[in-house]
Amino acid sequence: MDCCPPKSKLTFQRLKKALRIQQSNEKIDFHGQNKLILVGTPNVGKSVIFNSLTGAYVTVSNYPGTTVEVSRGKTRLTGETWEVVDTPGMYSLMPITEEERVTRTLLLEEHPEIVLHVIDAKNLERMLNFTLQLIEAGLPIILVINMMDEAERLGIKIDFKMLNTLLGIPVIVTSATRGHGLNLLKNAISEYQQTSSLGRSVNQYANRYA
Amino acid sequence: MLTATLNSTIYDANIEAVLLKIEGLLLTSYRLSRRAIAVLLLQGDEEIHKIVAAQDQKNYTHIQQLIDQTQAGYSESLHFLLSLQRQKKASFLSQQVMSTSKELDPSLGEHLSRLTLRPLTGIPILLLVIYYGLYQFVGVFGAGTLVDYLESGYEATINPWINGLIDSHIPWLVMQELLGKEYGILTLGVRYAVAIVLPIVGTFFIAFSIIEDTGYLPRLALLVDRVFKSIGLNGRAVIPMALGFGCDTMATMVSRTLETTRERIIATLLLALAIPCSAQLGVILAILASQPLALAVWAGFIVLVFLIVGFLTARLMPGERPSFYMELPPMRWPNWRNVVTKTYTRMQWYLLEVLPLFVLASVLIWLGNITGAFQQIVAWLEPVVNWMGLPDETTPAFLFGFFRRDFGAAGLFDLYQTGLLNGTQLVVTAATLTLFVPCIAQFTMMIKERGLKTALAIALFIFPFAFLSGYVLNWLITITGIKI
Repeated sequence: MDCCPPKSKLTFQRLKKALRIQQSNEKIDFHGQNKLILVGTPNVGKSVIFNSLTGAYVTVSNYPGTTVEVSRGKTRLTGETWEVVDTPGMYSLMPITEEERVTRTLLLEEHPEIVLHVIDAKNLERMLNFTLQLIEAGLPIILVINMMDEAERLGIKIDFKMLNTLLGIPVIVTSATRGHGLNLLKNAISEYQQTSSLGRSVNQYANRYA
Repeated sequence: MLTATLNSTIYDANIEAVLLKIEGLLLTSYRLSRRAIAVLLLQGDEEIHKIVAAQDQKNYTHIQQLIDQTQAGYSESLHFLLSLQRQKKASFLSQQVMSTSKELDPSLGEHLSRLTLRPLTGIPILLLVIYYGLYQFVGVFGAGTLVDYLESGYEATINPWINGLIDSHIPWLVMQELLGKEYGILTLGVRYAVAIVLPIVGTFFIAFSIIEDTGYLPRLALLVDRVFKSIGLNGRAVIPMALGFGCDTMATMVSRTLETTRERIIATLLLALAIPCSAQLGVILAILASQPLALAVWAGFIVLVFLIVGFLTARLMPGERPSFYMELPPMRWPNWRNVVTKTYTRMQWYLLEVLPLFVLASVLIWLGNITGAFQQIVAWLEPVVNWMGLPDETTPAFLFGFFRRDFGAAGLFDLYQTGLLNGTQLVVTAATLTLFVPCIAQFTMMIKERGLKTALAIALFIFPFAFLSGYVLNWLITITGIKI
């Protein structure tokens, strides 16, 4: 019942065009490019990070569930072109709603070089659950602890270096709406790419040990 | 780099052993690690079960047996159990790296947040937001002051100028009527879009972007959750509904975030039926603002229809009732850059979508006029319109309304200015136009999101229902003797 006859997308495409976003099911040639997928629960700032990486504009709002479509954009980091994919919110690796299913299918079917798991610094405890699932899945994760400014206002401190050691994945702290930490994030992406191209896909690595 | 140690310590020994066994039975390779596949299998993920059943046919029955045996050993579901154990690990990790240095006094934002959530203070706040944000800013300023200024300017300066140019340069009457005169592209289509709809939608988008950026909407969702539950929706549906006041087409798309199919259908129906879009709302506010009683009757009637239809659909539609869960983002001052960008992108999108359609509508009306089809349809509709106690002249407004909700409302505004309708007729027309068919764009989105059958069923229900409601409202006003 939720499926869509492809003919009726006219209005929708105009909307997408107006927002300068490419439609997810269009075949765009991103061949030979690095791919980066943003995932996380709703309202943690994925779209803000997407916008600042790609320079495109996706609706950003202060309520959960604004992104219902997959948006794609491009960015250049240290001389390489990256395809950046923004996804609808997702609470766990096991989907409940339609949008969550969309995101998981994306993770299953595309081969991202990097998956950015964006979380809310104020809710670290609850959000790490999904991080654990992503690590379990053997995906190439960088953890982005966003909204640090709001957390600091609540008196919360996070020892991200220690978290890095405990989880064994890169951990970056940002306040994306203020633009804090985004350069660090870009550096981390380039660095991650360089190290993992030596050992090739982390996915294979994980499978070997599983 | 990836820590095998981490994996081995997430679940208890028993579960770990089962996971290892399942991993060993997965012989083909998957996009996710074997560990993740095993976990998802244990948790009962249907999609993954299907994939494994297809890929590892030989071992699948064995895996299924393992899962059943494991489940038999626990009273809770494995899904719950695994999530719980993983959460324990997550809590442990977060305790190690996180510290809260001091108990801060709750900020102003939090105080305000609490006030918006309590019904006693929340409802007055909601009324204030509606009064200042919608009524004063959009209704009085946008739809009143701005529209008056632009619209009278357009009619007094641009229309005569265009008609003059056309008269002197284009000899054919047919072409003259396409571009100018009563229903022309430039004199009607562009005028409706630029002088009536644009200022209303513009002010609405500004108000809405500000409200949205403060984080007020999810709080509103919690506040009205109880009302919504009684009509079979959870509070999360407030967001598509609130968006619907901006544009029902956009809102229909966002209804995708609702959890059950049943909720999505109810929300789609209510959006198509009882939620006026910003342009429509602005025009109606502008028209009825001078008569508060008329405005109250209109608003009361639409709310009533919303509740009755929602309630009945929830009763009639089978399916599970939703439970509510929503993240509350912080209450904060709107970030002006956000507000400007948001308003700008929405306006841009709106204009790109709306202008071609208004032009198209003008062309269709022109075609209808020269072929006589327009008059024919008007003639068919007239008895229906008369039946609701309305004069013949309102018929074109309903026809316009089919192209776009706001187009119909703009037509109504035109009528209002000629002073043709009395108070009751204005209210009845406004209410019927609000309930009347979704516009073409919204209908297209309904097909895309809910499928052709559901979309058609909804449209077929709404069409007679709107007119019937108009009739009932007219009858109610007459019988109760309310003087509007």
